[in-house]
Amino acid sequence: MVKKKCVAMLLAGGKGSRLNSLTKEIAKPAVPFGGKYRIIDFTLSNCTNSGIDTVGVLTQYQPLLLNSYIGIGSAWDLDRRDGGVTVLPPYSESQEVRWYTGTASAVYQNLTYLKQYQPEYVLILSGDHIYKMNYEEMLEYHIEKKADATISVIEVPWSEASRFGILDTNEEKRIVDFEEKPNSPKNNLASMGIYIFSWNTLKEYLEMDARNPRSSHDFGKDVIPLLLEEKKKLSAYPFKGYWKDVGTVQSLWEANMDLLNEECELNIFDYDWKIYSVNPNQPPQYISQEAKVKESLINEGCSIEGEVEKSVLFQGVTIGRGTRIKESVIMSDAVVGQNVFIEKAIVACNVTVPDGMIIRPVDDEVILVTKELISGLYPTF
Amino acid sequence: MNKKLLGIIDATNYHEDLQELLTHRSMAALPFGGRYRIIDFVLSNMVNSGMNSVAIFPKLQYRSLMDHLGSGKNWGLNRKRDGLFFFPCPQCEYDHKRIGSFHHFAANLDFFHRSTQEYSLITNCFTVFNMDFRPLLEWHIQSGCDITTVHDKNGKALDIYLVKTSLLMELVQTRNETRYTCMEDVVNDPDPLFVTCHYKYNGYAEVVDSIQSYFKTSMDLLKPAIWTRLFLKDWPILTKVKDEPPAKYTRESTVQNSMVANGCTINGNVENSIISRGVQIGKGAVIRNCIIMQKCQIGENSLLDSVILDKDVKIEAGTVLTGTPRFPYVVPKGRVQGALMKS
Repeated sequence: MVKKKCVAMLLAGGKGSRLNSLTKEIAKPAVPFGGKYRIIDFTLSNCTNSGIDTVGVLTQYQPLLLNSYIGIGSAWDLDRRDGGVTVLPPYSESQEVRWYTGTASAVYQNLTYLKQYQPEYVLILSGDHIYKMNYEEMLEYHIEKKADATISVIEVPWSEASRFGILDTNEEKRIVDFEEKPNSPKNNLASMGIYIFSWNTLKEYLEMDARNPRSSHDFGKDVIPLLLEEKKKLSAYPFKGYWKDVGTVQSLWEANMDLLNEECELNIFDYDWKIYSVNPNQPPQYISQEAKVKESLINEGCSIEGEVEKSVLFQGVTIGRGTRIKESVIMSDAVVGQNVFIEKAIVACNVTVPDGMIIRPVDDEVILVTKELISGLYPTF
Repeated sequence: MNKKLLGIIDATNYHEDLQELLTHRSMAALPFGGRYRIIDFVLSNMVNSGMNSVAIFPKLQYRSLMDHLGSGKNWGLNRKRDGLFFFPCPQCEYDHKRIGSFHHFAANLDFFHRSTQEYSLITNCFTVFNMDFRPLLEWHIQSGCDITTVHDKNGKALDIYLVKTSLLMELVQTRNETRYTCMEDVVNDPDPLFVTCHYKYNGYAEVVDSIQSYFKTSMDLLKPAIWTRLFLKDWPILTKVKDEPPAKYTRESTVQNSMVANGCTINGNVENSIISRGVQIGKGAVIRNCIIMQKCQIGENSLLDSVILDKDVKIEAGTVLTGTPRFPYVVPKGRVQGALMKS
């Protein structure tokens, strides 16, 4: 194998249970976003755009769609002769089948994969977040700081700090303390779940962690505190820009609406930092004589005869006559009938919304429209 | 039966009437329908009909065509067995109005020898249609004819020929004796050596051979009765995919009866138009009855009516350009058009 300076390990086994039925059959990284993407597109595109060409994708929960979506990685230009994408599912050993019980155990069980490339550095990523980041700059920072590990951090509002892993740093951005979801946070620098480890440190500490029966084998909860305890050099890499964990239906909807905001820092139209995805090859969208489309993102294959305002439409969506869609996300191949009114909702893939149906939020809460919801309301439909 | 038909696409044609759009590209690579090149229709039809081996016979300028086709991956033709073949013939001379030059085939006779397909389908590259070639082959075999030509519902020949591959090779090898230079010669011989039959295709099929027909066929796409027949989910017209974000419509935009491809940002007003990938339309601009090709930038408050903008054209703010459906105003690729450049 060709030696690689930096190999990425992308954790894509997240269940995303707060996304309700959106993640019933698919893993969170495969959740559709932004009219044509899946969440994992952002991390994989970041890898390609940062010059990282060797990526292990660790899957576990509902991997069918994710595995076929990633394929051999050609959509992200990661179908390489040396390296490229490798999907790494849990596997059985001579003694037992070992599930990935935590983020650290997932990487630990694939040390053999990493060893093939004799990397100097390992980048640990999560497939759950929407952001654009140059990992190469973070790696340079890690090298410059002569750190054993570097954690990418972002300032979060103080009120939300207790939801995150919070870091305390000194003046040289060296991490002095780390608390996972603290009740009374001392700081508002949150870990983004993006780590760069020097290879020897990673190997040593993952092996140490694996031997500890009391460990939950999680980077945030176990490995990072252990490194701190052992006085290893941990530096914080400050990230500025858009970063969102779309853990709930509400936050998924918000992230989609962010794209419609002119001031949003997440620019998907940036040709210098393209977000790649699997392109379905559909005809251009058709906007009819009666249609009205404003402040929206619309993907190929859509046919629109109604009114669409402040909404995001995925590929192959049909919007009937007299229908109004407001502040909503309509996922791929959904068929919305005539004279329908939808406000502040996410319509899941392949859902058919019958003529005349009215969907509006109760208590301002985003509604997730699924096949089950429709058939519950219209048993004969 | 699928493997029995070999696809041969003649991409050497050139129509003087389309000259303004063909200075940088071959006819086959003519952009069409917002995200396609005109060859995508016949190529997709072949692939959808289960044909695994397709040979393209191009002529200069074929840079854009090669860039478009690549390894054939987007059509599933990047195969170890069969797949996409590209046969330029720099020394060949053509009658650029006619398809299926035997001279060009002769230069690549090895390919025909190596091919295992019993029948060959020889087509042009500039017909906009969505046709299943399987019934045609079935019909040809049953009819027992030597050559089958395809005609549209009005009886007009579509420049599509189905023959046994062995007969095609024979025609190529005996061209000096027979004086046949292409398939058209063979079927139009007043004293025919072979039995030719006509197969009628009743679906939508339009030949693009002039600016007028290009404009008309493009505008046809805006009729739901036509686009719903041309773009079918289970019979997709495949093309080179690009990683463009979804099209963005802003608060100021109004769009009616139009086709819009991904990557566009529309701030202005669009009506009865085809807007290709990555086009930017400024505030207050009015685009009516236009074909706007890839990555054009249209400045604020400009007015375009019955205009074809080739790729990468920049229209400065306040520019007014008007043509007519019969004579659309064509702006060549990469041109910068200012407000005062055309009265």
